Amino acid sequence: MLIIGAAKDDGYGSYKPTPLKFNIPVGWPKPPTDIFAKNKLTEDGFQLGKKLFYDGRLSKDGQTSCASCHQQFAAFSTYDHDLSHGVNNTFSTRNAPALFNLAWMTAWHWDGGINHIEVQPLSPLTAPNEMGETLDSVLIKIKTDDNYRRMFKAAFGDAAVSSQRMFKALAQFTGSLISANSKYDKVKRGEDTLTQYEQAGYEVFKTNCASCHKEPLFTDNNFHNNGLTLNRFNDNGRQKITLLGCDSLKFKVPSLRNVQLSFPYMHDGRFYALSQVIDHYTNISLTKPGLDTLLKNKIAINNSQKNQLIYFLYTLTDTSFTKNKRYAQ
Amino acid sequence: MSRKLLIYFLSLMFIPSIFFLLSGFNNKLPVNKNGRLVIHFLNIADGKKIARDSIYQNAFGEAYTVSKLKYYASNVHLDNFREKESYHLIDAFSSDSFSISLPPGRYNNFNFLLGVDSIKNCSGAQSGVLDPLNDMFWTWNNGYVMFKLEGTSAFSTADLHRIEQHVGGYKGAYKTMREINLSFTANPVIISENKFQQLTIQINIDKYWQGVNEIKITALPVLSAMGEQAKKVADNFPGMFSVQHITSQKN
Repeated sequence: MLIIGAAKDDGYGSYKPTPLKFNIPVGWPKPPTDIFAKNKLTEDGFQLGKKLFYDGRLSKDGQTSCASCHQQFAAFSTYDHDLSHGVNNTFSTRNAPALFNLAWMTAWHWDGGINHIEVQPLSPLTAPNEMGETLDSVLIKIKTDDNYRRMFKAAFGDAAVSSQRMFKALAQFTGSLISANSKYDKVKRGEDTLTQYEQAGYEVFKTNCASCHKEPLFTDNNFHNNGLTLNRFNDNGRQKITLLGCDSLKFKVPSLRNVQLSFPYMHDGRFYALSQVIDHYTNISLTKPGLDTLLKNKIAINNSQKNQLIYFLYTLTDTSFTKNKRYAQ
Repeated sequence: MSRKLLIYFLSLMFIPSIFFLLSGFNNKLPVNKNGRLVIHFLNIADGKKIARDSIYQNAFGEAYTVSKLKYYASNVHLDNFREKESYHLIDAFSSDSFSISLPPGRYNNFNFLLGVDSIKNCSGAQSGVLDPLNDMFWTWNNGYVMFKLEGTSAFSTADLHRIEQHVGGYKGAYKTMREINLSFTANPVIISENKFQQLTIQINIDKYWQGVNEIKITALPVLSAMGEQAKKVADNFPGMFSVQHITSQKN
């Protein structure tokens, strides 16, 4: 009976998943937790996740996909937008972060309110100023699409569609986005050299920026108060998640990789240019309450050093990532 | 008949008997056959069963209605018996009971966690009663809503006089899951093979408002985040539960 049942064709194709290996770039630390420990990475799961990522039907208006605000050419941030557009002409209240090297994080979003990569999509899917949809409705749209059902079977063994499978597939795609092939990386691998100017910028970086923007990920993935003033949304960042006064105005340190493409900067996109960001750090009032202790010493960067630093930051641009067809629609 | 052929026939006859023996043996493995216990939650307020059109009054004279009442009961124990993968979602308006399979014996204590353990709050996408489809998971500050009560009250200052009590938080001092320990030594649950037994647990919403802490609708019509308030509410949880009755059922 079992044998007959297994052989019976359900019309959704076969289940022969191709395992994928998660490759840690040379010289990088291991991710702090294995996000794929209970979500076996396969080509089929990755492809399903990619389809979901690019599918506007996941939103209320049928047009706003994950990729609407996470554009590959901008390292999966929203290009040239301080805030992003949600359904019904709404705006988000935070700058859409670039998406790469997510497997090295332990908390996601600017405030770290997301405790596992798999459950992150729930937030943009259901937020009225993002994709504005309900989970039930998304699942109905997917269940009634035979292409999806074939892909669910290829990835998970049968054509049953569930939120858990959808989120696991999305995590296989987003968790696989690795950017590790910038000029900086090539230099580290001995395949390229920094110009004198870039090298000078690297020294400025190491002296002034590297404790929070820690190499090789260029973030410590932690939360810091970097002296920004409270914005018009009264967004106090990490405090909203932990309710701790000491976390007021702390935000997650974004990676500086691909920073040339992920402007505008900060959690609300208040700075359009890297020079503005550097000016912010050199002009911080050191007596500002709550300011991170790492910023308590005056940052002195003169104009030529500023330019050198910016040229160094440009070496973190990874066009093999932003043009990688494997990540494209 | 040659001797070879005889052996052949004898062995042919032997094959089905092996199967018979095996299947017979299987049925008579020396383990006790389990019985079942139906655990039914009787949701009451102001002496009445929770129903959509009823009006209740709390200890502070605040009248209210209930349109939604959902909570997790997990990590179910009866004495030393522990249910595996034990997560249940009680909904006063659709599924107010669940059943568990457990070995025959006398049981004097029923323990469970009101809410969801911290590990499951941060282990990624879940299925079944823990599926976010059940609308019991916070999307912006992840974690389960352990207990959810919604309704209306003229005493609520919120929009449309609504009451929304979403009690959640799983970390450190702000955790809201609570151990519920109920004993019935005088009248133990007796589980026997292939029999159903029912344990009815009463949950009294009166004590949600007035327990070790006082929660007034006027003061807190809407609770939708973890924190000090949610913790105070959660401290009232253990006082809300009691054993109502234990019945034997046929079958």
